Amino acid sequence: MTARSRLGAAVWFAAPFVVLVLAWSAAVELYDVPLRVFPRPADVIQALAQQARTGALGNHIWQSLRRVLVGTTLAVVTSIPLGVVISTNRYVAALSAPVLRFFSVLAGIAWIPLATLWFGYGFGAITFIIFNAVFFIVLYNTILGVTGIPQALRDAARSLGASRGQVVTEVLLPGALPNIVTGIRTGMGFAWRGLIAAEIIATNAGLGYMLFLARDFYRTEVIVLGMILIGAIWVLIDRLILVPIERRTVERWGLARSAG
Amino acid sequence: MDGLVIRDLSKTYYDIYAGEHVAAVEGVSLEIGVGEFVAILGPSGCGKTTLLNMVAGFIPPTHGEILLNGRRILGPGPDRGVVFQSFALFPWKTVLDNVGFGLKMRGVPREERDRVAREYIALVGLEGFEHRYPHELSGGMQQRVGVARVLANHPDLMLMDEPFASVDAQTRMTLQEELTRIWEARQPTILFVTHDVEEAVFLANRVTVLTPRPGRVRETVAVDLPRPRTWRHLIEDPVFKGLVARVLALVRTPAA
Amino acid sequence: MKRPVLRALRWFPGHPALAGAGPFVLLVAVWALVVELEIYPRAFFPGPLDVLRVFGSLVYKGILPTYLQDSVTRLAVGAAAGMVVGIPLGLLIGLHPASYRFFWPLIIFFQAIGDIAWLPILLIWFGFTLTTMTFVIVYTVIFPMIFNAALGVRTVPVEMVRAAQSLGASRWRILAEVLIPGALPNIITGLRNGLGYGWRALIAAEIIVGTSGIGFMMFDARRSGSVVEMILGMIVLGILWYVVDAGILRPAERVTIERWGLVRQAP
Repeated sequence: MTARSRLGAAVWFAAPFVVLVLAWSAAVELYDVPLRVFPRPADVIQALAQQARTGALGNHIWQSLRRVLVGTTLAVVTSIPLGVVISTNRYVAALSAPVLRFFSVLAGIAWIPLATLWFGYGFGAITFIIFNAVFFIVLYNTILGVTGIPQALRDAARSLGASRGQVVTEVLLPGALPNIVTGIRTGMGFAWRGLIAAEIIATNAGLGYMLFLARDFYRTEVIVLGMILIGAIWVLIDRLILVPIERRTVERWGLARSAG
Repeated sequence: MDGLVIRDLSKTYYDIYAGEHVAAVEGVSLEIGVGEFVAILGPSGCGKTTLLNMVAGFIPPTHGEILLNGRRILGPGPDRGVVFQSFALFPWKTVLDNVGFGLKMRGVPREERDRVAREYIALVGLEGFEHRYPHELSGGMQQRVGVARVLANHPDLMLMDEPFASVDAQTRMTLQEELTRIWEARQPTILFVTHDVEEAVFLANRVTVLTPRPGRVRETVAVDLPRPRTWRHLIEDPVFKGLVARVLALVRTPAA
Repeated sequence: MKRPVLRALRWFPGHPALAGAGPFVLLVAVWALVVELEIYPRAFFPGPLDVLRVFGSLVYKGILPTYLQDSVTRLAVGAAAGMVVGIPLGLLIGLHPASYRFFWPLIIFFQAIGDIAWLPILLIWFGFTLTTMTFVIVYTVIFPMIFNAALGVRTVPVEMVRAAQSLGASRWRILAEVLIPGALPNIITGLRNGLGYGWRALIAAEIIVGTSGIGFMMFDARRSGSVVEMILGMIVLGILWYVVDAGILRPAERVTIERWGLVRQAP
């Protein structure tokens, strides 16, 4: 993509938000909405400056990101090997499939009460929620990816002298990589949302916490600031980091149509 | 004049990767009389599908005009039926409903619609498959449905875009003979796009060869082979082979 | 020792009903064993019999059925509203490439904010009421629906639209006869995802806002330290989702998508 077309894409991406902010300003002005109900864009920017200055904002963001990172890493490191095993071993697959499906829909949220009991409030419980969100999706996608590899490829590798382990590392994992990456991306999306919910309930730092704290003081400008940050940070992570990774694996190997 | 008249037709695209205008089709003029079977032949990328899409009304020409029965073509319509290489059957409709689709669009009541549809389903040899879904049929059968669907709508012009390219060689030969048989019986006006020289000579009474991009009319060869035509007879026929050789030479050697 | 076990295990993949129930039976057995061995203190990790006992008492007291009804009703209302708004909106956005390009960043952004982040401001506006909960559920349900409906419309093969055009279909006919059926697989996927999200949102909303419902029951149990009720709640949730998936979504898919051969077996 040329620099010019990338600029064009960025403009197209920003355009609806510009329209949105304009509509927002106009609506608040027109209907004379009090700050207690909804802030003006200017109020939010002020809140941003203020929070950033005290360093509180930076801390909240860091706490949230840290939990996501740790939880995701743990989930990925456990689910991929498990996924490979399930895909290659019929008995393990038969035994675990329904069980996994059952647990997969027990939303991270539903685990919160139990998680806080077992891990206590704070980092542990929240990371568990995130782990839960990412684990099942990556597992499912790993299975999807590995089982989708044509048997012919595996046979070809064996007939060229590959050991069982080598088939996994040279054929199964690379072949499943696009699906795995998609799974990680989707899982992190869930994790991000679950994170906010968990932070509301179970801790005292982080963006979710900041959001709910502001509610107690009816500081709508901080609330809206928090909401915008939550949305924007995820969009940035997703679009600038995850999508390019996905695109590079998926499209490079021509294994699927273009990533959304 | 009745029939299809294409006058000085051109289509230019702006290629963002090359950063310049590219002509897919240039200055093509062609006439097809009512009841004629004309094949458009050319190498890949010569613009023949673009030409067909313009006649079908799916894309607008950059220059020139297309007249059907004296009227300008402004967009797609039931007067020009299209048979697609990918069949384009509606997977959620049965064979019967697919074939009757055009009639349904015209508001023909169900009983009449089904009756006509059955007639054409029988014409293409698919009796008994009325209530199947497309995915239950083989490629060759699906394309027969595609042909029946267009015929049932009685278009003034039938456009066929490499319709047999997606089926295996033997099914293709069968379908070609079927199409010839149908044409010999019903005499629809057909514009048939293909890259297969033998197919073009087998089916058509005129073969128009296009140059590689930009597509221009190189030459039109009249095919005077007697009808009915079958592969068994023609495959060893010296006249047929001579025509094929002649057309092949036109396709493969660059224009003077 | 190995052979008979292996042979017995081989039974499972071949018998669908057994394959479904078998592993669960095994899981419950392992669970009971772990509890008996007192690997974790009983208070933290109760056994299946304890859970069954509490299940029985709650049903007897009429609490569980009421909570269940509340939860399911909220979800049904939210899901219905989400479908009614989300699907047409998605179709509309997907119809034209320009409108899709314009709205898509907004959809992604608002989906990223997530339902829970809306709670603080919702609580300020509506307080701890049903309105808040319904909003949250609708919000979560709506995005997958919009997104998938739009995607569905966009991915209808252009040749199918052209085929309809060349058979005389008007714009509206194309929408009804080609675009909507063509988008249906994606719409159902959107429905499945939406309902999944909706469930989660429901539970979260009940935990935070609720006065009744399964989510509330679980969180209340946390406060009173009753792990059994928590686990019971989780089991009920899991079973309910299974029922919805197997009883509503999968049949819907079978009757439409599989019959039309658009997707092979849904997972």
